[in-house]
Amino acid sequence: MTAFNRVAETMAYKTITLPSGLTVLVRPMPGYSAVHAIYATKFGAIDRDFTVNGKTVHLPAGVAHFLEHKMFESEDGDAFSKYAKTGANANAYTGFDRTAYIFTASSKIDESLDVLLGMVGNPYFTEQTIQKEQGIIGQEIKMYDDSVDWRLMMALFQSLYEHHPLRDDIAGSVQSIARITPEMLYDCCTAFYRPENMVLALAGNITEEQVLAACARAGLDKPRDPVEVRRIFPEEGPLPWRKEYEISMPIVQTGFGLAFKEPPLEKGNLKREIIYDLLPDLICGGMTPLYRRLYDEGLVNPEFDGETLLVEGATCVLFTGESQQCDRVLELLREEIARIKAQGVEPELFTLVKNQLYGEAIVDMESVVDAASSMASAHQHGRTLYQGIQTLAALTKEDVDRELATMLDPETSVVVRVLPQKS
Amino acid sequence: MERVNVGPGVYLTRLEAEKFNRQRIAIHFQFPNLREDATAAAVLPLVLERGWAGCPDMTRLSRQLAKLYGANLGVDATLNGGNRVITVDISGIKNEFALEGEDLSGEYAKIALGVAFRPYLVEGVFDPEAVEIEKQKLAQRLETEINDKRLYCVRQARRIFFSGSPAAVERDGYLEEVPGVTPQTLKAVYDRMISTATIDVMVQGGDGEEVRRQLEEYLTGLERNPAPLVENLAMPATETLHREEYFDMVQAKLCMMFTWDKPMSAADLNAARLAMALYGGSVSSRLFLNVREKQSLCYYCSSTCSTMTGAMVVDSGVEPANAKRAEQAILREWENLKTGEITDEELEDCRRSLLSGMDAVGDSLEGEENWYYMQICRGEPLLPPSRSKEALLTVTREDVRRILQGFHYSLGYLLTRKEAGYDSL
Repeated sequence: MTAFNRVAETMAYKTITLPSGLTVLVRPMPGYSAVHAIYATKFGAIDRDFTVNGKTVHLPAGVAHFLEHKMFESEDGDAFSKYAKTGANANAYTGFDRTAYIFTASSKIDESLDVLLGMVGNPYFTEQTIQKEQGIIGQEIKMYDDSVDWRLMMALFQSLYEHHPLRDDIAGSVQSIARITPEMLYDCCTAFYRPENMVLALAGNITEEQVLAACARAGLDKPRDPVEVRRIFPEEGPLPWRKEYEISMPIVQTGFGLAFKEPPLEKGNLKREIIYDLLPDLICGGMTPLYRRLYDEGLVNPEFDGETLLVEGATCVLFTGESQQCDRVLELLREEIARIKAQGVEPELFTLVKNQLYGEAIVDMESVVDAASSMASAHQHGRTLYQGIQTLAALTKEDVDRELATMLDPETSVVVRVLPQKS
Repeated sequence: MERVNVGPGVYLTRLEAEKFNRQRIAIHFQFPNLREDATAAAVLPLVLERGWAGCPDMTRLSRQLAKLYGANLGVDATLNGGNRVITVDISGIKNEFALEGEDLSGEYAKIALGVAFRPYLVEGVFDPEAVEIEKQKLAQRLETEINDKRLYCVRQARRIFFSGSPAAVERDGYLEEVPGVTPQTLKAVYDRMISTATIDVMVQGGDGEEVRRQLEEYLTGLERNPAPLVENLAMPATETLHREEYFDMVQAKLCMMFTWDKPMSAADLNAARLAMALYGGSVSSRLFLNVREKQSLCYYCSSTCSTMTGAMVVDSGVEPANAKRAEQAILREWENLKTGEITDEELEDCRRSLLSGMDAVGDSLEGEENWYYMQICRGEPLLPPSRSKEALLTVTREDVRRILQGFHYSLGYLLTRKEAGYDSL
């Protein structure tokens, strides 16, 4: 068997679409004790305006995250106490474009699956339970208010976008979550928690039969009435809302961010998506001359990094770090971006970064958590993991150089500084 | 699983890794954490990670690792009570995934053992340029410690709580001592480590024989005098102390430190695990269910305890105006567990969660390696998680109470806004 065939085998998992519209992804992993399950919806913090069966809904910031918290409650008790009876370790998270409910368990898997599918499938909200949650989430919001990294990232989004809901914190604000009503939450459930908008991914000590039986117990094996949903995103121009912004916090070293507002990525353009993935490593990763110079001159620490965010209606590339000389770092970073756009990427570096991504894809299939997460994430991006690795294998330096010419335009860039507060 | 002695205080442990896509080698050096060497010992991992005699250049080494399909090399320091552990580890995909049929195992062994035993030296000491750069990095890390308020609060509390004990010696050294670290002092600390540390090489998958061969080669000619390690310790019980520090912050951080007063033994471990799960270590715990969920007094509130230091830490993020109430609520839950009712239901819920976690230990390379290395550090025989599960099943509510009753509340450290300290409440 060749190495590439072995990779294909490693990346394999079963995909089943149930009559209800739910997509189920299953990857049995022989020899493993635990199972990781993810039940995720394509509904996140940026989904603020939509129509559902003709009704127009406008949400205040933070509803997706609030709903995630509330899903753990039902008329017959909270899900955590039900999971406690199975020994599962459960949690949930909300991102800009998705919400996921997860558990890891090594026994009573069927029972844990029933809890997971039951809690998400049978929402229960009242004025009283909503009020109680506002206190806990208020604390969570305040915790993030003290995080330098989070404040920096939000300030970058608020500088890049004039209207896009990326401007607002995932958890919203104390004021915005005070406006949440049970009706809003039920509308979100109807629109986005319908099976065809969701994926159930499992990896580990599990069989396809077990999963399908759990879905049947939850009624997910039957067709559902169709629901008409239209997401509404505000028009957003190509240029950033403001070029520079500063905030201050009780810190001792300046944090900085340079971000580029890219044209939203069209669906299915996997090649460009992968190039966005490679960009930070090609520009300022540990193997680049730029990183070495910044590191040796003491201008950045190892946390200096880049990342790309791809969501509906918005694509952006962010470079963040902290430095005593952040303007010098920004100058060198801009110079390197201009150089690489003009001269193309270094061939050896391109091959090595590609190699690295190949290795990471294999490593991602090793743990039950990473495997299920990768499967669900790929599905929500409209592809399979194997399609991802195939596209990577076919990618050439010329592809990258060509696409790079249309990326990272200085006109679309913004700078944010987080300055130490004067005492 | 096999653990063999390959030299004075040097052991090689091989663990099964059939089901994983990766292989891994970890080389642990454990030695007493001396106050006078702390800062140089903090610089050491940073310099070692940059390269070794076979590949001195940091960027070239990064590229070499990328060529091995993104192999991951790390050199890190951790504290085990009064001992310091410096770990060199490498992990990467198995040979069968190599696109050109490369021998990845051999390369991993060469790099990991090279970094550990054959550092890049210039005229017999560490490269002065690399030392200066990494000293600057360490100084920056120490200077920016307050950027993460949660971590800073816990560290400040530990500094006061462990004052005067070997556990007080800082993992990252001391800012004022960074300029005094030289290529020579660093080499002296390295030499002490190589000569006196207890060395454990853990191999998961790959070619164990090749690792052994290379290891034995490096050991030949090395003068080894393993030093006795610092035993489990415990701070004496004292009157409760309250300390505050002020920052312009939105959420206050409260760290509470408790001492068990006398050293804990390995036999206390499973009872301590269950006690923490009940008190604040799980979503079925009293702190989570009562202090967070019912009383909404904090967003996070969790407890951990270490048998090596006999210390329990309760770490929480609270509304500045509620700090005193949160502290009282945390203490009330502790009191209730010590003397009040512990239901079968909550005890079994917490036990189930721990058992499930033990089942999953063998599902990750790092988890499995850590499981066995911790047993080595505690001086226990190497037993799989299934044996600990059996022991955990025998822990009673009285065992749990004994653990919790043994703690004394020593210190409350509060990071908050000026107008919202303990005194203003």
